Amino acid sequence: MGYSFLEQPMLLSQALHLTSILLASASFIGLTLGAGLPEWLAALTGMTLIAVLLQNMGMKSVDRFTTRMPVSAIGWNLIVFGGFVGFWIDLLWVSGDLLPAGLHFLMILMVIKLFNLRLRRDYLHLYAISLVAMLASGSLMTDLWFFPIFSIYLLAGAWTLLLFQLTKTSEVGGDVWMPEPIRHERHEGSHRVSPRLFWIANGLAFGAFLITVVIFFTIPRVNAGIYQKGFGENLRMSGFSDKVNLGAIGSIKRDPSVVMRVELPRSPLNDARPFYIRGVSFDRYDGKVWTNQLSYRRSLIEESPGTFTFRGKRAFSRAQLGEAIQQKILLEPLDTPVLFAAPFIESVMGMFPSLFFDATGAVYLPFPSSSRIEYTVVSRSNVLVSEDLGSESELYPESVVRQYLQLPFQPDRIKTLAAEVTQRQHNPYEKATAIQAYLTRNYRYSLDAPLAEQQQPLEEFLFARKTGYCEHYATAMVIMLRTVGVPARLVTGFMATEWNEYGNYYVVRQQDAHAWVEVYLPHSGWIRMDPTPTEDNPAAGGPVWKVLGPIVDNIKLQWNRLFVQYSAADQLAVVRELKAESMSVRNKALDSMTVLFSAFMTLLSEIVSHDVSRIRIGLLGELLGFAGISLAILFWLRRRRPWTAWNLWKNDRNDELVIVQCYRTMRNYLIKKGLSSSTAIAPLELVEITRSRWRDAHFSVASITELYCRTRFGHIPLTYEDLKRAEDELHHLLELQKSSL
Amino acid sequence: MPFQLPTFAHRVFRYRSTRITSEGLQFLIFVLAIGIAAINTGNNLFYLLLAMMLSFILISGIAAEYCLRRLEVRRHVPDLLFINTPVTAALVVKNQKSLLTSFSLTLSDVGDDQSVSPSIELHSLLPGASRVLTYQLTPTHRGRLLLSGVRISTEFPFGLFTKRAFYSREDTVVVCPEIQPVHERLLRGLFAAGYEQAVHRRGHGSDLYNLRLYQAGDDSRSIHWPTTARTSQLTIRETEAEEQRRAIICVPTSIPMSHDVSFERAVSLAASLVQHLTHHNYSIQLRLGSERSSFGQGEAHRLDLLRMLGLCQRITPTADSMRQDNWTDAHSEVDGGGTVVVIQAWSDSETGETELPWILIDGVLIPGTAHAA
Repeated sequence: MGYSFLEQPMLLSQALHLTSILLASASFIGLTLGAGLPEWLAALTGMTLIAVLLQNMGMKSVDRFTTRMPVSAIGWNLIVFGGFVGFWIDLLWVSGDLLPAGLHFLMILMVIKLFNLRLRRDYLHLYAISLVAMLASGSLMTDLWFFPIFSIYLLAGAWTLLLFQLTKTSEVGGDVWMPEPIRHERHEGSHRVSPRLFWIANGLAFGAFLITVVIFFTIPRVNAGIYQKGFGENLRMSGFSDKVNLGAIGSIKRDPSVVMRVELPRSPLNDARPFYIRGVSFDRYDGKVWTNQLSYRRSLIEESPGTFTFRGKRAFSRAQLGEAIQQKILLEPLDTPVLFAAPFIESVMGMFPSLFFDATGAVYLPFPSSSRIEYTVVSRSNVLVSEDLGSESELYPESVVRQYLQLPFQPDRIKTLAAEVTQRQHNPYEKATAIQAYLTRNYRYSLDAPLAEQQQPLEEFLFARKTGYCEHYATAMVIMLRTVGVPARLVTGFMATEWNEYGNYYVVRQQDAHAWVEVYLPHSGWIRMDPTPTEDNPAAGGPVWKVLGPIVDNIKLQWNRLFVQYSAADQLAVVRELKAESMSVRNKALDSMTVLFSAFMTLLSEIVSHDVSRIRIGLLGELLGFAGISLAILFWLRRRRPWTAWNLWKNDRNDELVIVQCYRTMRNYLIKKGLSSSTAIAPLELVEITRSRWRDAHFSVASITELYCRTRFGHIPLTYEDLKRAEDELHHLLELQKSSL
Repeated sequence: MPFQLPTFAHRVFRYRSTRITSEGLQFLIFVLAIGIAAINTGNNLFYLLLAMMLSFILISGIAAEYCLRRLEVRRHVPDLLFINTPVTAALVVKNQKSLLTSFSLTLSDVGDDQSVSPSIELHSLLPGASRVLTYQLTPTHRGRLLLSGVRISTEFPFGLFTKRAFYSREDTVVVCPEIQPVHERLLRGLFAAGYEQAVHRRGHGSDLYNLRLYQAGDDSRSIHWPTTARTSQLTIRETEAEEQRRAIICVPTSIPMSHDVSFERAVSLAASLVQHLTHHNYSIQLRLGSERSSFGQGEAHRLDLLRMLGLCQRITPTADSMRQDNWTDAHSEVDGGGTVVVIQAWSDSETGETELPWILIDGVLIPGTAHAA
């Protein structure tokens, strides 16, 4: 049975060293995750941190290694100089950029400083380096990872600053009259991390965290820049430029990276139906490459600050419009300026300097964003009208005919096939539906179709392999429709199917990139049709990840929304919300007060008028009951003082805790051995009983009890030796066989 | 009473003040830099770091305030101090808070808005606990020393700022002039004058009065054995009555400002004489300008005289004050049975050294006497 209550708390200086290393570690991890440091540098810094940590924990072999390093002060200065030279070499020839070269040099400095933590100035240098590293991490990383790293950094920072301050002064001069041993003992005790200090440090860190959150949300956002400047790499996208090779989308179909998240605030939730997010469309196909001939861009009109509309520009849209769909989109940094949204965009709201659109209805940013952007879009799709279902006439506008009936070559086989498929159909919609059905039924979806290398990939798809993916299906349908005289175009975008039920939004990944067809109907306008059959797309990860994935993604979204994307507009919204809430609360409080006050007044008036029979017994009982319970709680608190027990455990007197635990263990053991029947036995009485009934244990019991009484009731501090003796006596007692009883 | 801003501000800043430390300055420079970076880039994670640093500043203020609140301070100093003589003063500080420990306290005793003690560091003070802290107090000026309160400061929790609190605790102690060994020439003068002018009477004392032959009834403890052995006759040693030893010490206070140093020396010399003569059981009267003490001897009288000397003030000479400084009646008061010592810091007819006071014992100038030789 091993009892050990006696643990020497850590020295403040040792704790400072430890927290300083933790502080540096947090910033290093943040920087590594954000900047992607070179492997050798990350390994070097990581190993240095582990080495100094092990040294701090008292591992002698590491300590021997670090202390015997044959590097003098001049040697370290030379290493710093070498690092500086390396920085210039890195800047000019290796990285070629100031930021990565600076970060590499920063890590070198951190390593040097970690090996030279001797003076207080060295600690300050390390803190400055770690702060700069955190700053760099914040500029390079906006992922959810930053939050736990920041929290650890804050905790370690609070501890470090606190310990740095406490180790600054040594208690001198105030008690010169004291005998030297007592003075030494007192100073020794005050330079360790006591339980009280432990809780105070954590409490300060927690308080700082709460205040940080409050300040973060209330500090006015005065953004001099328009975009958040990020140095991270954008997601590489293909299929969203003016010129796209057939099969370009296939290359990104296996990438699970999140591209955007789409909320539908005013639409009913529907997690079963796929949600099409339009990017760009293409009108010309040369047999291998799709191009957009209508790529001339014009500015959208900014109706009010941050709100851009098409107002009168969509003249070609003669169709009846469907229901408006509002979407709130959080778009990751992409290498394309296309602004994605459900077709067809009517207005865009977001902090953009300007927006552009082309004749196909695609909307563009002035340049690709290097950081996440958030915007709201109102879209309205065309509705299939009944005239297009019955009419056989094909009256297309000249511009549509000229642009969307282009064919790349003389596709005789395709023309024959299309004619066969649509021979029984009379109107464009029926023809389109027939071709869509034909493709969906007769072709197999597969991403393993190397059609891009073929000379005639479309014919290869239609007549030879009969397997392909969305681009092949959509291209085939567009070309087949055009051969039978129906205007159509290929559209690239995303088909969102992953609904996050925790956050009520669609998660759109790279692998959701999709191509589909827009068919022009004389009365309805552009109608979306998708010939691609449903693919079997097994979700990545195990069953645990299936459950946790949406939750984590939702947390990521909230992190982005609340922290990364938090803006002045959000602050205004919060203020408005609070104002409305305060009004509501005030009104409710007034109503409640009025009701309460009127009840009191009624009661008082009834009492004053002595008409006791009319007093509402129920209300009176409630009031009296409330008062009685309150008084009882106050009385209990006053009598029992529950906070005193809590205070005892938070006492700096660690020796008191140790001896109390020793005594309790001893008492319980003696009770178990039958020397007493109750824990409510006076200490000296227990000693007396032991003396008379179990003489072998008497000395141990008397020793522990004496130390217990001295501390507990005499408030005399115990030395480490006293506590060690008490623990030894307890061990001795527990090993005693009660044979002599 | 109308609200007076300067008085209010004085009170506020007297009882609480905050100073920035060197580490705090570096911290603020970083805050400023990160703030500028946050505004320039609009990066919310910079704002998050900025908020963290601002929260540390805020927490510093709150925690330091709680550290300095509800402390009770008491002071123990001797009733009488002497210039340039260190004494041990004690400060008792008690944490009256029930839950919170006060950390990293620095105490200093304050008199007339200036610290009179070195800084005393106190690492921590548990709730309800008290500590006795001592320091050496060495006064440098004679007169009343006003100890107005105790200034307690802390850099807790993060060492970014030094927050100070002033606990008012007024004590007034009298600082007496410095007491030094009396110069040999002065001692010789006193010795000579004492023998010439004292009325010799038998009585209880320690100094020799007479030797005579033993008579029946004499106390055998008074036999002077060396003489008895030499003369082979029992000889009795008679002692001189101590009450005969009387002295009046006069210190004129009508001194021009130019002779301030000399006056201080005169006062210090008077205090040294009081100390010396009390030790030799003189009955002493002290005359400081127009102020006179009664004749007396013993420890209590000595302290009274020293207190008088501690508090006496130089006054600018006027005809009236010069008349009050007149000490010629002192001889008639002792009536030939005592010594009159006049310590004059300045004379309207002086021509020589002005730094050293003149000393006249029974009207005879002790030549070249320099008390602070």
